[in-house]
Amino acid sequence: MKAVLSVFKRRRELEREVEEELGFHLELLRREHVRQGMSPDEANAAARTRFGDMEQIKKQCVAISRRSRPLTRALKFFFILMFLAGVLVRVFAVELHFTRVGDMLIMVSVLGQLLLYARSLSPATFLSKQTQSPLRLIHDKAPTAAFDERQRTPVERVISEE
Amino acid sequence: MANSRTDLMQGTLELLILKTLARESMHGYGIVQRIHETTDDLLKIEDGSLYPALYRMEERGWVASKWGLSENNRRAKFYKLTVAGRKQLDAECANWQRVSQAITRILQTA
Repeated sequence: MKAVLSVFKRRRELEREVEEELGFHLELLRREHVRQGMSPDEANAAARTRFGDMEQIKKQCVAISRRSRPLTRALKFFFILMFLAGVLVRVFAVELHFTRVGDMLIMVSVLGQLLLYARSLSPATFLSKQTQSPLRLIHDKAPTAAFDERQRTPVERVISEE
Repeated sequence: MANSRTDLMQGTLELLILKTLARESMHGYGIVQRIHETTDDLLKIEDGSLYPALYRMEERGWVASKWGLSENNRRAKFYKLTVAGRKQLDAECANWQRVSQAITRILQTA
């Protein structure tokens, strides 16, 4: 019971961390807009627009950090070992009782993997399949800036920037 | 063409993040600002989409994150490049150069 509770607590902790990180970014965006002369309300709205879908991004980030947690990785590894042990027992056991043990090991490990997989699923997993890249080249700015004086594209400039 | 946008190849954002972090560790907002500044706002990143990318890169071990204090003394998460990240940057840089050279060559032969 305690272990179950600690999993939930850890999840809440992760969520809070992601919230704090994204909130910090939003706050700086808001300040930037206020500095440019917007009213607090306008700045708020502009910052939210530029940031994108906050809830969606939060969910994606939490999902990614949950699946890369050491505990999850260790469990996955453990179930793979268990499966292999089951197969070995199944292949080499001669007595009926032992093959049963092998069956049990295989079943438990497969179920465990499935459980881990199901737990890692969240609405964000399905919605996060981006149809377009988050990075855009803006054409409506002065087109002359597409290449600089050394004929480099913007991406090349970032790459070669020293 | 007002408001027309071109989608850039997936993975380009990661390359830009790696390159931006190569010099110093930064928080997410700093990374976006730096990319906007260097490209004269020609490349726009939807600010929020930076974070799933950063988290995935951390999962792969290219960047490491640590909470610290920002310029204005607020708690912020800073990202820095790992050794694996630096290798990845070199590989992706070389790849980008090859692709862009090839495309340039084709464009010039027309």
